[in-house]
Amino acid sequence: MRWFRFAALILTVTILQKGVLARWDNKPDLLLIALVFSATYLNTSDAIISSFIIGFAADLVGSPIPMGPHMISFGVFGTLLAYLNRVIAIRRLPYQALAIFVMGILAGVLTHVLAGESLSRSMFAVVLVTSLYSGFVGPFLVAPSAWWIGIRTGRLRRR
Amino acid sequence: MLFTWFMLTGLILLFAPHDFTGKFQLAFVHIFRWPLSIGGNVALTARTPPSVEGAKQRSEAQYRNYVENLKQTLDEQTRKLEKLSGLYNTFVWEGADFALADVIIKTIDGSRNEMTINCRKTDGLMKGQYVLGDESVIGTISEVFPQIAKADVKLVTDSTSWIPVEVAGIKTIMTGSGNNAAKIVALKKEVKVEEKVFALKNLKEGGFLDAPIIVGKVVRCERNTQMASVWDLTVAPVCDIKSLEDVAVIIINPPK
Repeated sequence: MRWFRFAALILTVTILQKGVLARWDNKPDLLLIALVFSATYLNTSDAIISSFIIGFAADLVGSPIPMGPHMISFGVFGTLLAYLNRVIAIRRLPYQALAIFVMGILAGVLTHVLAGESLSRSMFAVVLVTSLYSGFVGPFLVAPSAWWIGIRTGRLRRR
Repeated sequence: MLFTWFMLTGLILLFAPHDFTGKFQLAFVHIFRWPLSIGGNVALTARTPPSVEGAKQRSEAQYRNYVENLKQTLDEQTRKLEKLSGLYNTFVWEGADFALADVIIKTIDGSRNEMTINCRKTDGLMKGQYVLGDESVIGTISEVFPQIAKADVKLVTDSTSWIPVEVAGIKTIMTGSGNNAAKIVALKKEVKVEEKVFALKNLKEGGFLDAPIIVGKVVRCERNTQMASVWDLTVAPVCDIKSLEDVAVIIINPPK
């Protein structure tokens, strides 16, 4: 695991999320895509560490939501997905898209609950749209991300 | 163990004062302000500005509405000009002027028959002046309010109205009887139904007319109940006052 490259990747994604994508009303969550990628392609311990780090990065750019909710929700569901991936390999693009979508909804709802926000229709709509966009875009970003970090995605690996 | 430690860190951040943890967010934005601003500029350049299109559409809608309002005003002024021209052509009087007015309120209720008109030109308006509707006399000015450019008109059918008239060659006085009708009492001669009644100049009240103008027609002629030798006439206005929208006030010798 090339941690330096992983850190650079997460930093780039964070800056893109806060910079370019922040101007768009409906956008994918690149950090969520990175979370699912790390949970499905890294070993379990690396996946747990990276899930919480990605959550921390999401907290840094999650204003006006205070720090903490993203880290906890990303960490919890990233860990769960990492353990689930040990049983059910999520390699094919449709399954990855589905995993991103489901993770987006679960992590999004938990984040807003921990942030103390009420469960309103508008909140659900935002979470749903973000998860949909992320599910569409995410599978196509897996290969370049794996190449950058130095992970081979062609076949199942014993971890 | 890793999970526990990281969860603990997350919970500490969650329950820490927001003022303190907000500084981390501000610090990130401050440190990476340059790449964040570049990303923002790229987004602004790539994105089509819908607000400009929206503003343009809104301006177009405003212009369209302005043009429609102008057209309506032009039609209204053309109509009034035609009406005035018609009046000047019909009543060729020296020293006469006409003030067009819109009818605002009509009250035809029992004995009280009056209306309020909106008159832009109040110069020269005074009590007693005759008011025309559909080129017939419908009443007289009872009150003028120059401050608000309005005037009250007492209709000829109002119970307090009385104007000098001529019917079948006889000059007499017509009084209002309410309910959109007027009466002429104690006429020495029987008059046929449908006979026209003309208003005459009313020097006493200020109603100047250079020539008689029709005011109504006889709808009933019956013997007086107290004196059988005289006749009582019921007169109905020839103008449909209920549907009247604008009137003209006759101003004789208007101020220069």
